[in-house]
Amino acid sequence: MHGATLPLATLVMTDVRDDHKVAAACAAGDSSIFEQIYREFGDRMKSIAYNHLGDVSDAEDAVQETFLKIHRAAATYSGEAAFSTWAFRILINTCYDFLRRRKRRIDEAPLDESPAVLEKSVPGADVAKRIMLRKMLASLSEQRRTVFTLFEIDGLSHAEIAGILGISEGNSKWILFATKKELQQQWKNS
Amino acid sequence: MDDLLLDGEGVSMELAARHANGCEACLRSLSAWNEISATARELQTSWKSDTLWPRIDRALREEKRRASRSWLWQAAAAAVLTIGIAGSAWYAVRSASHDARFDEQILRVSALDAVHQAEEAHVAAIERLERIAAPRLDESSAPLMISYREKLMLLDDAIAECEAQIGRNRQNAHLRKELLAVYRVKQKTLEEVVREGTHVSNQ
Repeated sequence: MHGATLPLATLVMTDVRDDHKVAAACAAGDSSIFEQIYREFGDRMKSIAYNHLGDVSDAEDAVQETFLKIHRAAATYSGEAAFSTWAFRILINTCYDFLRRRKRRIDEAPLDESPAVLEKSVPGADVAKRIMLRKMLASLSEQRRTVFTLFEIDGLSHAEIAGILGISEGNSKWILFATKKELQQQWKNS
Repeated sequence: MDDLLLDGEGVSMELAARHANGCEACLRSLSAWNEISATARELQTSWKSDTLWPRIDRALREEKRRASRSWLWQAAAAAVLTIGIAGSAWYAVRSASHDARFDEQILRVSALDAVHQAEEAHVAAIERLERIAAPRLDESSAPLMISYREKLMLLDDAIAECEAQIGRNRQNAHLRKELLAVYRVKQKTLEEVVREGTHVSNQ
């Protein structure tokens, strides 16, 4: 729908052979390749983690944990998905782990709405609407929240979301539609 | 309307907007739909965190160090295990061989005792024979009996000599066989004495 950011596949590592080389370097613990991945994807990873966990500190912990998991699992990378898609899948699963482990829902955690954190918030925009939407997102199921967050907030395409979540593109579209219908109902009632 | 919203692509959304212009309910619905998307875009979050990458880098290095340490520990544990297994195997083999030697020794001692007992029984029987022959040897002055008496004295000396040597080396089978042979000769001689004595007294 909007796609304000670059699709994942165009950022780095578009070649399958490159992906395997990157995975091999990650498995070997090559610090420079991790730094490259962080430079390319760090901001988006933090944003996705924040939109799942609702807390800056938790989001940074989740990103760090994701890098460690990439290092541990890189040797098992099969190349069936792009390396970046595989890495984001790990991030999403890490966020789910954090939510389950800490038993902390977004609506239970204090949302960090300071201007220093939400740089992309439009000055003067309706803060109440943002808080209301966050609360609505917190009440969604994991999969619906993830599809909505990745598409509407982080600007990923349905093809990328399908790759990360291991579902079909059509399924991703359907989940987003159903989620927005659910939110639309609450939005109109609010 | 739902089909257009489900597709969500640019053309579909334009068609939806056109349709909504002529329908109040659809306009409200589309307005809420678009407002949700617009608000969601505002939720895109970014913050500076100069410490995050150094933190991740440190954690990765620590992870790598831990992995290599863990490899070292695993290697050390494997070495200790191997040494332990080898030591146990060596001890087991050594014990088995020790047991075999012990069993063999026991068997040898028991065989020796059996020989010893047989010898004692043999000697006792010869002594009984000697007691029967003694009066004939002592009382007779016949040259044959004198000759038997001397032969028996020589045999007793040989027996004493053999027994002295066996006392120094109990397991010397050759000496035992020699002693046995001397005893047989003595037994045969005593039998002859008894036989000759009976023959003489019958005459």
